[in-house]
Order: sequence, then C-alpha cells, then structure tokens
Amino acid sequence: MSGTLQVSILWLLPLLLLPLAVYSGFRMLIGIARKEQGEGERDWSVPQLEFEGGESSPVHRWDVRFKLASFLILAFVIVSLQHPQTALAALMLALLGYRLAAIPWRRGFKRLLGMAGFLSMFLLMLPLTAVRHSGDLVLVFGSIDWLGFNLRGLDLAILIILRAATVALLMEPLLATAPLPVTLAGLARMGVPRRLTELLLISHRYLYVFLHEARRMQIGMEVRGFRKSTSLATLRSVGNYVGMLFVRSFERTERVHAAMLARGYQGYWPQPISFNVMPADYLKAAALIGLGLLLVICDQFMVG
Amino acid sequence: MHISDGVLPTAVALGTSAVSAGFLLWSLRRTPADDLPKVAVLTSAFFVASLIHLPFGPTSVHLLIPGLVGALLGPSAFLAIALGLVLQCLLFQFGGLTALGANLLLMGLPALLAGLVFYHFKGRSKKQRILVGALCGGGATIFSALLLALLLASGGEDFIGVAKLALLAHIPVVLVEAGVSAMVVSFLLKVKPELLDIPFVLKEKM
Repeated sequence: MSGTLQVSILWLLPLLLLPLAVYSGFRMLIGIARKEQGEGERDWSVPQLEFEGGESSPVHRWDVRFKLASFLILAFVIVSLQHPQTALAALMLALLGYRLAAIPWRRGFKRLLGMAGFLSMFLLMLPLTAVRHSGDLVLVFGSIDWLGFNLRGLDLAILIILRAATVALLMEPLLATAPLPVTLAGLARMGVPRRLTELLLISHRYLYVFLHEARRMQIGMEVRGFRKSTSLATLRSVGNYVGMLFVRSFERTERVHAAMLARGYQGYWPQPISFNVMPADYLKAAALIGLGLLLVICDQFMVG
Repeated sequence: MHISDGVLPTAVALGTSAVSAGFLLWSLRRTPADDLPKVAVLTSAFFVASLIHLPFGPTSVHLLIPGLVGALLGPSAFLAIALGLVLQCLLFQFGGLTALGANLLLMGLPALLAGLVFYHFKGRSKKQRILVGALCGGGATIFSALLLALLLASGGEDFIGVAKLALLAHIPVVLVEAGVSAMVVSFLLKVKPELLDIPFVLKEKM
C-alpha cells in the first residue's frame, strides 16, 4: 500500500490527543515509580549499581570480561537492525535474558523510564516530519494538505524505540550481575586505561556522599522558606547553592586526597580480584554473539 | 538532552566513539597523575549539580553545567564529563551505551571550549568575570544543542524535524544555564576566588 490516503478531518482529533496520551502515560509511569519508593519528599535516590547478590544465574557465573565483550558487541548489533520485526525479536530475547539473570523487573522498568522523555519526542515528531517518498502511505486529513501522518515515520519511530529498549534491558544483566569493582577490573583487563576505571570507582563512591550533602543543603533552604519559581531570586539562590556545593566538594577533595595518600595510595588500589576462564565462558560468549549474527542475517534477508 | 541507543546510524555511533576516546585519552594525559582522584571527586559534585531541576514557566529544566565544568577544570573537563556521562548511562540510562561517544562529544567539546574562553577572557574585574561566566554557560549550551541537532540530523532527512525540535527545546536551557553560571561565578568570586584563577588541576604546577 502506498500513496496518500484521504481521511476525514475528524481523524485529526485522535492525533491531537496523542501527545496528551503520551504525556499522561509518562506521568502515570513516574507516579508508579514514586509509589514504589514510598510517599514523602522529592525522590533524591540514585539507583545503586549494587549487584543483586544471592542469585546464582548463568549470567552471574559468567566471567566479566567475556560478558562485557559479548554484550558490547551485541549492543552495536542491535542498534544496527533495520526492521521492526527483527528488533522486536531482539527485544523478546533481551526479556528472556533478563529473566534468566534473575534481576527484579523494577530496575529494568526504571531504565526504560529514563529514556521515555527522549524517545517520545521521536514518536510524536517522526510521523509528522518524515520526508514523504513515493512509496509511503501518508494519511492526509481532509483538506489540510501540509499535515500528513506518514506511516513510514511511525515505523521508524517504533524501530528506534525497540532498539533503545532492547539495549536498555541488556544493561541490567550486564551491570547488576557482578559488583562494580569486579566489572571495572574486567574492563581494565580488556585494555581500558586502569586510571580511568579507578576514577570511575571514586566518582561512583563520592556521588552518594555529595548527594547526601546536597540533600541536607536543600532541606536547609526549604526550612528557611525557599520555594522554586521562575524568578531571578530562584536563580540567585540556586547559583549560590551550586557554588556552595562546589566549594565544599573542592575542600573535601583536598582532604580525601590527603587521606588516600596517608593510607599509601599510589595511583592504584590493590586488586585482589582474579579471573579464571572456564569453557562455559567461551560457550556463553559464542552463544550470545551467534544470536546476534542470526539477528543480523534475518535482518538482511527481510524484505519490506 | 542525551541521545539514547538506537537513534544514531551505526557508523556515526562507532565514529563518535572513536573520536571521543581520542579526546578522553588526551584529557587524561593533560591531567597530572596526582590530581586524578581530585577530578574524580569533583565529578561527583558536578553530577549531583546536574540533578538539580529549575522551574521555567510550565516546564522545568535541569542544569547541564558544561560551561562551569570547563571554566573550573580546564583541559580535565573532558575527563570529568566522561566520568559523569558513564555514570548517568550506567545508573539511569540517560544516554545509551552505544551513543556514549556521541553524548561525550556533545557535552565535552563545549566544556573544553568554554574552559578556553574563560581562561583567556576572564579579565580582572568582577563584572567581566561574571559576564564571561554567563557567556560560557550559555554559549556552551548553545554549542551543545547545535552538536545534538547535527548528530540527530545525521540519521537522514527524516530526522531534520526532530533535530529542529531538539534545538528549540534548548532555548529555556540556555537562558537558565547562563543565569546560573553568572550566579555561581559571582558566588565563587566572593567565597573562594582562587578556584576561578587557574584551572583547578594546574594549580600546583603554577
């Protein structure tokens, strides 16, 4: 089917309602996420990258280096899929893998929520702004000629959303099945400069410290009657707040560094983490990459 | 705004990853080894600052602060932003794994440029420093929005509409960013002016 399809101008109404539906769906998801955390003040919590211990799934037992390499290759394979059908298949496989890694669904759900705002922009804009080609099916509303709902654009948006969701779902099995220091040690073994992985570990550690500090300052401001609004006063208060956060962290930085040196820090932490490769590691990597190849082959031979 | 997975063409995703890896290594090398842990600790502070939301009319915008990071850290800014973005990707899925390189370029390059501009034009007087701070904050955000639009448009002609929308969405961010940068610079001038004198990590060398 191609060409333009004249539909009644009344169909424009549901189209106008679409942004509203996306918006309210978005609010609802945030509401669910809030409810799960319990009522109360604004949610300042940053999800922990802690690994869900206790579980001993095949993904947990996998050598981190093989896991990292396979997932990274797979992620690039997934984002290069060109058809919604294969992308949907990939999403199903990712869900299966997620289930296999025995990670709570709420974590993956939060990841999807993190992308929702950005991706809804594509869902709303692409059908309306995609360039009309001769083979496209475009819905035109009555006599409004310039506004067409291009179904190819909708396909494209759905493809993007499927690819993004699949990679997002891979992130949890990748990161939550080993403690962060082990994952980073694996990265270092794979050739990422060790200084970089060490820094990442420090940043991750102090993130929660400063978050706590920022929260205390925020509470102090609220106690003194500060309420955010679109005004110069808010701008000034927030400027001072951010400035204070910087000053305090600069000073803390000096103390932290001195303390690290006093404890014998020489640029690296001792790494008691050892890796031993089992045949199963190779097998799992081969299986995952094979699956990726299969997806690419299906994608290449898909017509339409 | 961070680019998520699945938006960029694979060639662009791979290319931007390679280019940012190059910048990252350069930034790592320009940072004295002793200062590395300090940069890491500061990154956490920048990360926390970027979680602050400000109301702007009916919507709210969150701070990006690439301009301030550049002004305070100089050449190490790229490294700090890389650490922050990796954490945002790992923790919240703000910005995808395969789009990490692209996101790094569109935040890191403006920060480097802002750092350069601030370093050379900050002058001596208070007024000038505040003004240059605001320009760096706003300018870095504009540069970042342009890079974002360019990267989005690399997907093909279909994406030009989305790229334009992304550009428009940054207008309130630019205003808030410029305002907050000016306020932060004026606050630092009163409280700890030495932070603005020389890029933090080069302090001991000079």
